[in-house]
Amino acid sequence: MSKGLDDALLQAHVRQDLSALVDLYTKAADVVEDLDAECFYLTHAYIFALDFGDARANALHVRLVHHGREA
Amino acid sequence: MPDLVSLNAVMQPVAVARGLPNDHYVSEETFQAEKAEVLFGNWAAIGFGRDLTPGEAMPIDFVGLPLVVVRGREGGMKVFQNTCRHRGMILVAEKKSVGGVIRCPYHSWCYALTGELVATPHVGGPGHNTHQDIKRDELGLVEIRSHIWRDVIFVNVSGTAPAFEDYAAEAIALWAEYEDKPLVAGENSTFQFDVACNWKLAVENYCESYHLPWVHPGLNSYSRLEDHYHIEEAGKFSGQGTLVYRPMISEDGRRFPDFEGLSPKWETGGEYIALYPNVLFGVHRDHAYAIILDPVAKDKTREHVSIYYANEAAATGADWAEMRAKNTKMWYDVFEEDLFVVEGMQKGRQGAAFDGGKFSPAMDGPTHCFHQWVASQFCPDAVAAE
Repeated sequence: MSKGLDDALLQAHVRQDLSALVDLYTKAADVVEDLDAECFYLTHAYIFALDFGDARANALHVRLVHHGREA
Repeated sequence: MPDLVSLNAVMQPVAVARGLPNDHYVSEETFQAEKAEVLFGNWAAIGFGRDLTPGEAMPIDFVGLPLVVVRGREGGMKVFQNTCRHRGMILVAEKKSVGGVIRCPYHSWCYALTGELVATPHVGGPGHNTHQDIKRDELGLVEIRSHIWRDVIFVNVSGTAPAFEDYAAEAIALWAEYEDKPLVAGENSTFQFDVACNWKLAVENYCESYHLPWVHPGLNSYSRLEDHYHIEEAGKFSGQGTLVYRPMISEDGRRFPDFEGLSPKWETGGEYIALYPNVLFGVHRDHAYAIILDPVAKDKTREHVSIYYANEAAATGADWAEMRAKNTKMWYDVFEEDLFVVEGMQKGRQGAAFDGGKFSPAMDGPTHCFHQWVASQFCPDAVAAE
């Protein structure tokens, strides 16, 4: 993960900006090559989307199920 | 354990009975016993429906039991134990609007507003959100039996009480005329008192009219003692009624709209009952109220008062704001007048020689009715002597 993305994530956590966290964790998942790392970030994006009631939760759920990481 | 010999004296007819012994007011052990038998074993009041809009969750500490009340998107209400099924973390620390799910702040296990466990992040290792031994359908939030009546949220923690409609059938029948009427929460019509007394003393004082001329001389100027009658339903509720209720009239001659379709009884009638264990209700032709007694400790009670009107205009309209404020102030002043007596009775029960007290057979029937009910919770086979 780039330092810029890492910093943005930390700032979004401080602001408790759930929408930004969904976006940034999804970006983090998209730039890593390791499947476990991708699913780690996808999981965070998915949980914050659920918490926020964000429709992006559906697509994130599909990705996790596709990788066998979610029911 | 409460003293069963003393409780047997409570179960006697009012003319010869004694009141509940001191330990029901000053003993931590008896307070804990009452918590289990009286408060958790019956339908107890914990909050008002008015306090939650759809999608909101509100934590309530009920005698140490952490609860969360959730109003679903469609308006239905549920009560859960406010405890994550994973590590026992408190889920909702303060009232909030729930965006999508209730997420535990510790490891982010997520629950739907209906209580189902819907997500368990990393539960099978990093990035693995399932595990064969984590069965989500067995790990939903623990639901507590709940029911709403007259905007009061009731819970039966033990799960053993009859259905609320049966438990409160006589009270519902008493005020059947009001059952199908709108009950609209008044704006700026709530207040609280923190009182240094056991919760039962607030019930007992509310039940009887005996004290009115002494403690509420203002009320007595038009509603004399002889204008009141006892309301007693053994094992259920008790209280008092008045025959001379007069609606408040504004300086320009207006009065709050009535609940529609009431019988002539209510033109000058008002009734006030304690539905056991811990909620006090009042009804009149033009407004009603509920008082929830939160038993904070053996000698501390928080009284939550909420006033209701017959329609939206009266409850929230700007035209009625001044009248509502006046009505709220009137009830605040009346209930405040009661505080020194309930706190005084609490202090009086530090006197070890007090034997529970001698009832007036003519005037204390409703209070004795409540004492008998409390006593019967500890000796369920006892039959109240007539």
